[in-house]
Amino acid sequence: MSEIAQKVKAIIVDKLGVEDSEVTPEASFTNDLGADSLDTVELIMEFEKEFNISIPDDQAENIQTVGQAISYLEENVK
Amino acid sequence: MAYNLLKGKKGIITGALDENSIAWKVAERAKEEGAEFTLTNAPIAMRMGKINELAEKTNSEVIPADATSLEDIENLYKKSEEILGGKVDFILHSIGMSPNVRKGRDYGDLNYDWMMKSLDVSAISFHKMLQVAEKMDFINEGGSVLGLSYIAAQRTFPDYSDMAQAKSLLESIARSYGERYGRLKKVRVNTISQSPTMTTAGTGVGGFDTFFDFADKISPLGNADATSCADYCILMFSELSRMVTMQNLYHDGGFSTSGITQKVIDHWQK
Repeated sequence: MSEIAQKVKAIIVDKLGVEDSEVTPEASFTNDLGADSLDTVELIMEFEKEFNISIPDDQAENIQTVGQAISYLEENVK
Repeated sequence: MAYNLLKGKKGIITGALDENSIAWKVAERAKEEGAEFTLTNAPIAMRMGKINELAEKTNSEVIPADATSLEDIENLYKKSEEILGGKVDFILHSIGMSPNVRKGRDYGDLNYDWMMKSLDVSAISFHKMLQVAEKMDFINEGGSVLGLSYIAAQRTFPDYSDMAQAKSLLESIARSYGERYGRLKKVRVNTISQSPTMTTAGTGVGGFDTFFDFADKISPLGNADATSCADYCILMFSELSRMVTMQNLYHDGGFSTSGITQKVIDHWQK
C-alpha cells in the first residue's frame, strides 16, 4: 500500500470512527462507512490539509469511495 | 415590509448555511431594516453552503470562524469592528450540531466525546461569544444577543438526543450571562425557542416529519416558519424590545402552552 493510501485510511478511520478492516477500496463513505454530508466535506477538507492541495468542489463530488479518494490523491499530490 | 427598525445598527449573524437557514432569513430581514453586519460560519459549513451568495445579496463580508475557538471569536470581532467601523448592537447565535444525532447513536449508547462536542458547539460557544465580547467591550450599551433554542430543553423528544441537554445549557447561559451583561452594560441576552423548522439542522433530527406535523397540529397558529422567526429576531434586536432580557421566548404558534387543541381533537375523532 502506498504512503498516500495509508494516510488516507488513517484519516478515514479517525474521522468516521470506523474499524481499519472496514476501510476497503470499494467502501463507500456514505453507504458503507456511515458518513453523512457533513462528514464527506470534512474528509475532503482533511485530505486537503494533510496533502496540502485544493480539491475543487466538482471533483470532490466524484470522490465517493475509499479507492476513489486514494486514486485522486495519488494522481494529484506531487 | 420594512420599518427601519435596525437603522444604523451593526451586528454579526452566525450560522447561515443556505436559503432555508433561519440565519439566512435574519440576514435578509436585517438588511431590509437598515442594519449593517458581518456573516460568519464554520469553515466546513461555508464549504457546504452558499454563504457567499448571501454576502453578495446583503452587501456584507464573511469571516470564517469556529465558534468553539476563543481565538477565532476574537478574530471575528476584530475584523467585524474594522469592517463595520465600530462595535456591534446585535449578535445572532444560530449554531448547533450533535455528532450523536448525526450518527444516529441511541440515547442509551451515547459517545461521550461526541456529547461534549455537542455541548461545546451548540451551547458553550454561546458563552464563549459573550465572554469574549465582554472582555473586548465589543457590544454597545443596550445591545441584544440572541440564541436559537428548541422546546426539547424543557420537554422530551426522544430523537433530539443530547441536543436536548445542549439547548437546556444554552438557555441557562442566556439567563446567567444576561444577568451579568445587563448589570454591566445593559446588554440583553435571550433565546428564542422556535417551532421545528425545515432547515438542514432541523431535518437532521430523526423522525422530523412526524414531529413537525405533530407540532403543527398542537399549535393553534400552526408551526412558525423561518421567515416569521426572522421577524421576531429583528424585533428582539430593535429598540422596541429594549427591556426584554434573560428570557427564553417561545416562537411556536402556541405549542408550548397548548394542552390539547381543536385540531388535535378533530384528528383523533376521525
